[in-house]
Amino acid sequence: MRYVDEYRDAALGRVLAGEIVATVEAGREYKIMEVCGGHTHTIYKYGVDDLLPANVELVHGPGCPVCVIPMGRVDDAIAVAHVPGVIFTCFGDMMRVPGGSGTLLDAKARGADVRMVYSPLDALRIARENPDREVVFFAVGFETTAPSTALTLKRAKAEGTPNFSCFSNHVTIVPPLRALLESPDLRLDGFIGPGHVSTVVGARPFEFIPADYGKPVVISGFEPLDLLQSVYMVLRQLVEGRCEVENQYARVVPADGNPAALAVLEEVFELRPHFEWRGLGFISHSGLKLSEAYAELDAELRFEIPGVRVADPKACQCGEVLKGVIKPWECKVFGTACTPERPIGTCMVSSEGACAAYYNYGRFAREREVV
Amino acid sequence: MSCAGDTHCITCSDEGVPMRVLEVQPDGIARCEADGTESDVMVDLVAPVARGDNVLVHAGVALARLA
Repeated sequence: MRYVDEYRDAALGRVLAGEIVATVEAGREYKIMEVCGGHTHTIYKYGVDDLLPANVELVHGPGCPVCVIPMGRVDDAIAVAHVPGVIFTCFGDMMRVPGGSGTLLDAKARGADVRMVYSPLDALRIARENPDREVVFFAVGFETTAPSTALTLKRAKAEGTPNFSCFSNHVTIVPPLRALLESPDLRLDGFIGPGHVSTVVGARPFEFIPADYGKPVVISGFEPLDLLQSVYMVLRQLVEGRCEVENQYARVVPADGNPAALAVLEEVFELRPHFEWRGLGFISHSGLKLSEAYAELDAELRFEIPGVRVADPKACQCGEVLKGVIKPWECKVFGTACTPERPIGTCMVSSEGACAAYYNYGRFAREREVV
Repeated sequence: MSCAGDTHCITCSDEGVPMRVLEVQPDGIARCEADGTESDVMVDLVAPVARGDNVLVHAGVALARLA
Protein backbone atom coordinates (compact mmCIF):
# COMPACT_ATOMS: atom_id res chain seq x y z
CA MET A 1 0.00 0.00 0.00
CA ARG A 2 1.29 3.45 -0.90
CA TYR A 3 2.64 5.53 2.03
CA VAL A 4 3.15 2.29 3.96
CA ASP A 5 5.22 -0.29 2.05
CA GLU A 6 8.09 2.06 1.23
CA TYR A 7 8.56 2.73 4.95
CA ARG A 8 8.98 -0.97 5.77
CA ASP A 9 12.00 -1.67 3.54
CA ALA A 10 14.27 -4.06 5.47
CA ALA A 11 17.44 -3.19 3.53
CA LEU A 12 16.99 0.52 4.25
CA GLY A 13 16.29 -0.37 7.87
CA ARG A 14 19.63 -2.12 8.16
CA VAL A 15 21.37 0.93 6.67
CA LEU A 16 19.72 3.21 9.24
CA ALA A 17 20.56 0.77 12.05
CA GLY A 18 24.20 0.88 10.92
CA GLU A 19 24.18 4.69 11.00
CA ILE A 20 22.76 4.60 14.52
CA VAL A 21 25.53 2.25 15.67
CA ALA A 22 28.11 4.57 14.05
CA THR A 23 26.58 7.63 15.77
CA VAL A 24 26.43 6.57 19.42
CA GLU A 25 29.37 7.23 21.69
CA ALA A 26 30.72 4.21 23.54
CA GLY A 27 30.24 4.38 27.29
CA ARG A 28 27.34 6.83 27.06
CA GLU A 29 23.79 5.68 27.86
CA TYR A 30 20.87 7.09 25.87
CA LYS A 31 17.28 6.96 27.13
CA ILE A 32 14.70 8.10 24.62
CA MET A 33 10.96 8.22 25.32
CA GLU A 34 8.50 7.52 22.52
CA VAL A 35 5.49 9.50 23.71
CA CYS A 36 2.84 7.85 21.59
CA GLY A 37 1.40 4.37 22.10
CA GLY A 38 1.24 3.90 18.35
CA HIS A 39 5.03 4.17 18.27
CA THR A 40 5.34 1.58 21.07
CA HIS A 41 3.20 -0.79 19.04
CA THR A 42 5.33 -0.35 15.90
CA ILE A 43 8.59 -0.77 17.81
CA TYR A 44 7.59 -4.21 19.10
CA LYS A 45 5.65 -5.35 16.08
CA TYR A 46 8.69 -4.80 13.84
CA GLY A 47 11.44 -5.45 16.38
CA VAL A 48 12.86 -1.94 15.96
CA ASP A 49 14.53 -2.01 19.39
CA ASP A 50 16.47 -5.17 18.45
CA LEU A 51 18.28 -3.11 15.80
CA LEU A 52 19.51 -0.59 18.37
CA PRO A 53 22.83 -0.72 20.24
CA ALA A 54 22.68 -1.90 23.87
CA ASN A 55 23.29 1.61 25.21
CA VAL A 56 20.21 3.04 23.47
CA GLU A 57 17.05 2.38 25.48
CA LEU A 58 13.52 3.22 24.39
CA VAL A 59 11.19 4.24 27.22
CA HIS A 60 7.45 4.10 26.66
CA GLY A 61 5.44 7.22 27.33
CA PRO A 62 1.89 8.13 28.36
CA GLY A 63 0.44 8.54 24.88
CA CYS A 64 -2.04 5.67 24.79
CA PRO A 65 -5.52 7.13 25.20
CA VAL A 66 -6.97 3.96 26.66
CA CYS A 67 -4.14 3.48 29.16
CA VAL A 68 -4.49 6.87 30.81
CA ILE A 69 -8.23 6.64 31.60
CA PRO A 70 -8.68 6.40 35.39
CA MET A 71 -10.88 3.61 36.72
CA GLY A 72 -13.42 6.03 38.13
CA ARG A 73 -14.30 7.39 34.68
CA VAL A 74 -14.96 3.83 33.49
CA ASP A 75 -17.30 3.32 36.46
CA ASP A 76 -19.03 6.60 35.55
CA ALA A 77 -19.44 5.31 31.99
CA ILE A 78 -20.89 2.03 33.25
CA ALA A 79 -23.38 3.96 35.40
CA VAL A 80 -24.59 5.89 32.34
CA ALA A 81 -24.73 2.68 30.27
CA HIS A 82 -27.12 1.17 32.85
CA VAL A 83 -29.57 4.10 32.67
CA PRO A 84 -32.80 2.67 31.17
CA GLY A 85 -33.21 3.55 27.50
CA VAL A 86 -29.56 4.41 26.92
CA ILE A 87 -27.51 3.02 24.06
CA PHE A 88 -23.90 3.49 25.15
CA THR A 89 -21.34 3.61 22.33
CA CYS A 90 -17.57 3.44 22.54
CA PHE A 91 -14.43 2.31 20.75
CA GLY A 92 -13.76 -1.41 21.08
CA ASP A 93 -10.82 -1.27 23.45
CA MET A 94 -12.74 0.83 25.94
CA MET A 95 -15.18 -2.05 26.43
CA ARG A 96 -12.44 -4.11 28.09
CA VAL A 97 -10.94 -1.46 30.39
CA PRO A 98 -11.60 -2.49 33.98
CA GLY A 99 -13.25 -0.01 36.32
CA GLY A 100 -13.73 -0.62 40.01
CA SER A 101 -16.80 -2.74 39.27
CA GLY A 102 -16.02 -4.55 36.05
CA THR A 103 -15.88 -3.45 32.42
CA LEU A 104 -18.37 -2.09 29.91
CA LEU A 105 -18.34 -5.60 28.42
CA ASP A 106 -19.49 -6.93 31.81
CA ALA A 107 -22.18 -4.23 31.86
CA LYS A 108 -23.31 -5.42 28.41
CA ALA A 109 -23.47 -8.98 29.72
CA ARG A 110 -25.66 -7.71 32.57
CA GLY A 111 -28.11 -6.18 30.11
CA ALA A 112 -26.81 -2.69 29.33
CA ASP A 113 -26.98 -1.79 25.63
CA VAL A 114 -23.29 -1.14 24.96
CA ARG A 115 -22.22 -0.99 21.32
CA MET A 116 -18.81 -0.75 19.70
CA VAL A 117 -18.31 1.92 17.05
CA TYR A 118 -15.38 2.79 14.82
CA SER A 119 -16.03 6.51 14.83
CA PRO A 120 -18.31 8.96 16.64
CA LEU A 121 -20.14 9.42 13.32
CA ASP A 122 -21.34 5.80 13.71
CA ALA A 123 -22.71 6.73 17.14
CA LEU A 124 -24.59 9.69 15.63
CA ARG A 125 -26.06 7.38 12.98
CA ILE A 126 -27.28 5.05 15.74
CA ALA A 127 -28.94 8.08 17.39
CA ARG A 128 -30.72 8.99 14.15
CA GLU A 129 -31.91 5.40 13.74
CA ASN A 130 -33.17 5.18 17.34
CA PRO A 131 -34.99 8.47 18.01
CA ASP A 132 -36.75 7.02 21.07
CA ARG A 133 -33.47 6.08 22.78
CA GLU A 134 -30.71 8.19 24.35
CA VAL A 135 -27.42 7.52 22.56
CA VAL A 136 -24.23 8.41 24.42
CA PHE A 137 -20.75 8.39 22.89
CA PHE A 138 -17.85 7.65 25.27
CA ALA A 139 -15.21 9.97 23.82
CA VAL A 140 -11.58 9.19 24.61
CA GLY A 141 -8.32 10.17 23.01
CA PHE A 142 -5.83 12.94 22.43
CA GLU A 143 -5.92 15.71 19.81
CA THR A 144 -6.03 12.97 17.17
CA THR A 145 -9.52 11.73 18.01
CA ALA A 146 -10.93 14.93 19.53
CA PRO A 147 -11.51 16.55 16.08
CA SER A 148 -13.62 13.57 15.05
CA THR A 149 -15.77 13.98 18.17
CA ALA A 150 -15.94 17.74 17.64
CA LEU A 151 -17.07 17.48 14.01
CA THR A 152 -19.68 14.88 14.98
CA LEU A 153 -21.03 17.17 17.72
CA LYS A 154 -21.19 20.04 15.22
CA ARG A 155 -23.24 17.82 12.91
CA ALA A 156 -25.49 16.69 15.76
CA LYS A 157 -26.13 20.30 16.76
CA ALA A 158 -26.70 21.50 13.20
CA GLU A 159 -29.13 18.74 12.31
CA GLY A 160 -30.76 18.73 15.75
CA THR A 161 -30.37 15.16 17.01
CA PRO A 162 -31.72 15.70 20.54
CA ASN A 163 -31.14 12.11 21.70
CA PHE A 164 -27.35 12.22 21.10
CA SER A 165 -24.81 13.23 23.74
CA CYS A 166 -21.11 12.89 24.45
CA PHE A 167 -19.32 11.78 27.63
CA SER A 168 -16.02 13.54 26.99
CA ASN A 169 -12.77 12.15 28.31
CA HIS A 170 -10.59 13.81 25.71
CA VAL A 171 -7.15 14.85 26.88
CA THR A 172 -4.29 16.95 25.56
CA ILE A 173 -0.71 15.79 25.22
CA VAL A 174 1.36 18.76 26.39
CA PRO A 175 0.31 18.95 30.09
CA PRO A 176 1.23 15.29 30.89
CA LEU A 177 4.57 15.75 29.11
CA ARG A 178 5.28 18.76 31.29
CA ALA A 179 4.20 16.76 34.36
CA LEU A 180 6.53 13.94 33.35
CA LEU A 181 9.43 16.32 32.83
CA GLU A 182 8.83 17.73 36.32
CA SER A 183 8.86 14.21 37.80
CA PRO A 184 11.95 13.79 40.01
CA ASP A 185 12.47 10.10 39.21
CA LEU A 186 12.54 10.62 35.45
CA ARG A 187 15.82 10.17 33.58
CA LEU A 188 15.44 10.88 29.88
CA ASP A 189 17.74 12.24 27.19
CA GLY A 190 15.22 12.97 24.45
CA PHE A 191 11.76 12.42 23.01
CA ILE A 192 10.20 10.90 19.93
CA GLY A 193 7.21 13.19 19.52
CA PRO A 194 3.68 12.08 18.59
CA GLY A 195 3.18 12.20 14.83
CA HIS A 196 -0.57 12.27 14.48
CA VAL A 197 -1.25 14.60 17.40
CA SER A 198 1.15 16.92 15.59
CA THR A 199 -0.89 16.79 12.38
CA VAL A 200 -3.48 18.66 14.45
CA VAL A 201 -1.44 20.82 16.85
CA GLY A 202 1.72 21.23 14.75
CA ALA A 203 5.31 21.13 15.96
CA ARG A 204 5.35 24.38 17.95
CA PRO A 205 3.62 23.14 21.15
CA PHE A 206 6.64 20.90 21.80
CA GLU A 207 9.18 23.72 21.71
CA PHE A 208 9.02 24.07 25.50
CA ILE A 209 10.83 20.72 25.83
CA PRO A 210 14.16 21.91 24.36
CA ALA A 211 13.61 25.48 25.59
CA ASP A 212 12.72 24.74 29.23
CA TYR A 213 14.19 21.28 29.79
CA GLY A 214 17.07 21.12 27.30
CA LYS A 215 15.97 17.89 25.65
CA PRO A 216 15.65 17.14 21.93
CA VAL A 217 12.33 16.21 20.31
CA VAL A 218 11.85 14.53 16.93
CA ILE A 219 8.26 14.25 15.68
CA SER A 220 7.99 10.85 14.07
CA GLY A 221 5.87 8.80 11.70
CA PHE A 222 4.59 5.36 12.59
CA GLU A 223 6.31 2.98 10.20
CA PRO A 224 9.48 1.12 11.26
CA LEU A 225 11.77 3.24 9.06
CA ASP A 226 10.20 6.40 10.48
CA LEU A 227 11.07 5.30 14.00
CA LEU A 228 14.61 4.22 13.14
CA GLN A 229 15.22 7.56 11.44
CA SER A 230 13.74 9.44 14.40
CA VAL A 231 15.96 7.59 16.87
CA TYR A 232 18.90 8.47 14.63
CA MET A 233 17.86 12.14 14.55
CA VAL A 234 17.52 12.31 18.37
CA LEU A 235 20.95 10.67 18.77
CA ARG A 236 22.51 13.12 16.27
CA GLN A 237 21.18 16.04 18.30
CA LEU A 238 22.59 14.53 21.50
CA VAL A 239 25.97 13.74 19.99
CA GLU A 240 26.23 17.20 18.40
CA GLY A 241 25.07 18.91 21.61
CA ARG A 242 21.98 20.37 19.98
CA CYS A 243 18.43 20.37 21.32
CA GLU A 244 15.51 21.45 19.18
CA VAL A 245 12.21 20.21 17.74
CA GLU A 246 12.79 18.40 14.45
CA ASN A 247 10.09 17.01 12.19
CA GLN A 248 10.85 13.59 10.71
CA TYR A 249 7.19 13.22 9.65
CA ALA A 250 7.11 16.24 7.35
CA ARG A 251 5.15 14.28 4.74
CA VAL A 252 2.13 14.58 7.05
CA VAL A 253 2.89 17.12 9.80
CA PRO A 254 2.88 20.85 8.89
CA ALA A 255 4.63 23.19 11.34
CA ASP A 256 1.32 24.86 12.20
CA GLY A 257 -0.77 21.70 12.34
CA ASN A 258 -4.29 21.76 10.94
CA PRO A 259 -5.85 25.20 11.63
CA ALA A 260 -9.35 23.96 10.71
CA ALA A 261 -9.05 21.16 13.28
CA LEU A 262 -7.78 23.56 15.95
CA ALA A 263 -10.68 25.92 15.20
CA VAL A 264 -13.31 23.19 15.61
CA LEU A 265 -11.67 22.00 18.86
CA GLU A 266 -11.74 25.57 20.14
CA GLU A 267 -15.41 25.89 19.26
CA VAL A 268 -16.66 22.60 20.70
CA PHE A 269 -14.43 22.03 23.72
CA GLU A 270 -12.99 23.93 26.65
CA LEU A 271 -10.26 22.95 29.10
CA ARG A 272 -11.24 21.46 32.44
CA PRO A 273 -9.45 22.95 35.45
CA HIS A 274 -8.17 19.46 36.35
CA PHE A 275 -8.39 15.96 34.94
CA GLU A 276 -7.25 12.72 36.50
CA TRP A 277 -4.75 10.54 34.62
CA ARG A 278 -4.12 6.95 35.44
CA GLY A 279 -0.80 6.69 37.23
CA LEU A 280 -0.07 10.41 36.86
CA GLY A 281 -2.76 11.83 39.14
CA PHE A 282 -4.60 15.11 38.55
CA ILE A 283 -3.02 17.35 35.92
CA SER A 284 -4.19 20.95 35.45
CA HIS A 285 -5.77 21.97 32.14
CA SER A 286 -5.21 18.56 30.59
CA GLY A 287 -8.77 17.42 29.88
CA LEU A 288 -11.45 18.68 27.51
CA LYS A 289 -15.14 19.12 28.24
CA LEU A 290 -17.88 20.41 26.00
CA SER A 291 -18.05 24.20 25.72
CA GLU A 292 -21.05 26.28 26.78
CA ALA A 293 -22.26 26.37 23.19
CA TYR A 294 -22.47 22.57 23.17
CA ALA A 295 -23.74 22.05 26.72
CA GLU A 296 -27.02 20.61 25.39
CA LEU A 297 -25.01 17.64 24.02
CA ASP A 298 -22.97 17.09 27.18
CA ALA A 299 -23.76 13.73 28.76
CA GLU A 300 -22.26 14.94 32.04
CA LEU A 301 -25.05 17.51 32.25
CA ARG A 302 -27.80 15.28 30.82
CA PHE A 303 -27.19 12.31 33.13
CA GLU A 304 -26.33 11.97 36.76
CA ILE A 305 -22.65 11.05 36.76
CA PRO A 306 -21.59 9.42 40.03
CA GLY A 307 -18.09 10.98 39.85
CA VAL A 308 -16.52 7.80 41.12
CA ARG A 309 -12.94 7.91 42.37
CA VAL A 310 -11.18 4.57 42.50
CA ALA A 311 -7.61 3.95 43.57
CA ASP A 312 -5.61 1.87 41.10
CA PRO A 313 -5.24 -1.80 42.15
CA LYS A 314 -2.25 -2.19 44.46
CA ALA A 315 -0.72 -4.96 42.37
CA CYS A 316 -0.88 -2.89 39.18
CA GLN A 317 2.09 -0.70 38.30
CA CYS A 318 0.65 1.00 35.21
CA GLY A 319 1.64 4.36 36.68
CA GLU A 320 5.33 3.49 36.77
CA VAL A 321 5.10 1.93 33.31
CA LEU A 322 3.42 5.09 31.95
CA LYS A 323 6.19 7.24 33.43
CA GLY A 324 8.84 4.93 31.99
CA VAL A 325 10.19 4.21 35.48
CA ILE A 326 9.83 0.44 35.08
CA LYS A 327 9.58 -1.86 32.07
CA PRO A 328 6.34 -3.84 31.70
CA TRP A 329 8.00 -7.14 32.66
CA GLU A 330 9.15 -5.59 35.93
CA CYS A 331 5.51 -5.26 37.09
CA LYS A 332 4.60 -7.94 39.61
CA VAL A 333 1.50 -9.11 37.74
CA PHE A 334 2.77 -8.82 34.12
CA GLY A 335 1.93 -11.92 32.11
CA THR A 336 0.59 -13.82 35.12
CA ALA A 337 -2.44 -12.23 36.77
CA CYS A 338 -2.52 -9.48 34.11
CA THR A 339 -2.81 -10.57 30.46
CA PRO A 340 -4.56 -9.07 27.39
CA GLU A 341 -7.39 -11.58 27.89
CA ARG A 342 -7.85 -10.62 31.57
CA PRO A 343 -6.20 -7.25 32.08
CA ILE A 344 -5.81 -5.70 35.52
CA GLY A 345 -4.22 -2.50 34.28
CA THR A 346 -5.03 -0.35 31.28
CA CYS A 347 -1.57 -0.75 29.72
CA MET A 348 -2.48 -4.39 29.04
CA VAL A 349 -5.79 -3.54 27.36
CA SER A 350 -5.05 -1.46 24.33
CA SER A 351 -2.81 -2.74 21.56
CA GLU A 352 -1.01 0.60 21.97
CA GLY A 353 -0.35 -0.10 25.65
CA ALA A 354 3.25 -0.88 26.52
CA CYS A 355 2.36 -4.02 28.48
CA ALA A 356 0.16 -5.42 25.70
CA ALA A 357 2.89 -4.69 23.14
CA TYR A 358 5.48 -6.52 25.25
CA TYR A 359 3.12 -9.42 25.90
CA ASN A 360 1.81 -9.82 22.35
CA TYR A 361 5.29 -9.74 20.80
CA GLY A 362 6.88 -12.10 23.31
CA ARG A 363 9.04 -9.61 25.22
CA PHE A 364 9.18 -11.51 28.48
CA ALA A 365 12.97 -11.68 28.58
CA ARG A 366 14.81 -9.39 30.93
CA GLU A 367 17.79 -9.05 28.65
CA ARG A 368 17.28 -7.52 25.23
CA GLU A 369 18.81 -9.41 22.36
CA VAL A 370 21.09 -7.01 20.55
CA VAL A 371 22.36 -7.66 17.04
CA MET B 1 -10.52 -8.02 20.27
CA SER B 2 -6.87 -7.15 20.40
CA CYS B 3 -5.00 -5.79 17.45
CA ALA B 4 -4.47 -8.96 15.42
CA GLY B 5 -4.60 -7.41 11.95
CA ASP B 6 -1.49 -6.93 9.93
CA THR B 7 -1.84 -3.26 9.15
CA HIS B 8 -3.60 -1.43 11.95
CA CYS B 9 -5.66 -1.79 15.08
CA ILE B 10 -9.33 -1.95 14.19
CA THR B 11 -10.68 -1.58 17.68
CA CYS B 12 -9.14 1.41 19.39
CA SER B 13 -9.55 3.73 16.38
CA ASP B 14 -6.66 5.84 17.61
CA GLU B 15 -4.54 5.05 14.63
CA GLY B 16 -3.91 6.99 11.46
CA VAL B 17 -4.76 5.11 8.29
CA PRO B 18 -3.88 6.39 4.80
CA MET B 19 -7.06 6.15 2.70
CA ARG B 20 -8.01 7.02 -0.87
CA VAL B 21 -11.08 9.11 -1.65
CA LEU B 22 -13.58 7.22 -3.82
CA GLU B 23 -16.53 9.58 -3.84
CA VAL B 24 -17.23 12.97 -2.25
CA GLN B 25 -20.74 13.54 -0.92
CA PRO B 26 -22.25 17.02 -0.46
CA ASP B 27 -22.42 16.86 3.36
CA GLY B 28 -18.66 16.94 4.00
CA ILE B 29 -18.43 13.16 4.03
CA ALA B 30 -16.47 11.09 1.54
CA ARG B 31 -16.48 7.39 0.81
CA CYS B 32 -12.86 6.29 1.28
CA GLU B 33 -10.97 3.05 0.82
CA ALA B 34 -7.90 1.37 2.30
CA ASP B 35 -6.81 -2.20 1.63
CA GLY B 36 -10.17 -3.02 0.07
CA THR B 37 -12.17 -1.76 3.07
CA GLU B 38 -14.51 1.18 2.49
CA SER B 39 -15.84 3.61 5.07
CA ASP B 40 -17.45 7.03 5.40
CA VAL B 41 -14.96 9.70 6.42
CA MET B 42 -15.55 13.31 7.48
CA VAL B 43 -13.38 15.46 5.21
CA ASP B 44 -14.28 18.91 6.59
CA LEU B 45 -10.74 19.50 7.89
CA VAL B 46 -8.97 18.85 4.58
CA ALA B 47 -11.61 20.23 2.20
CA PRO B 48 -11.84 20.40 -0.70
CA VAL B 49 -10.95 16.84 -1.66
CA ALA B 50 -11.57 15.03 -4.91
CA ARG B 51 -11.77 11.44 -6.05
CA GLY B 52 -8.30 9.88 -6.00
CA ASP B 53 -6.87 12.11 -3.26
CA ASN B 54 -5.03 10.39 -0.40
CA VAL B 55 -5.84 11.41 3.16
CA LEU B 56 -4.77 10.36 6.65
CA VAL B 57 -7.83 9.18 8.57
CA HIS B 58 -8.19 9.04 12.34
CA ALA B 59 -11.38 7.74 13.97
CA GLY B 60 -13.48 8.60 10.94
CA VAL B 61 -12.04 12.04 10.22
CA ALA B 62 -9.39 12.99 7.67
CA LEU B 63 -6.75 14.99 9.55
CA ALA B 64 -4.24 15.58 6.79
CA ARG B 65 -3.89 15.36 3.07
CA LEU B 66 -1.07 13.13 1.82
CA ALA B 67 0.87 14.70 -1.03
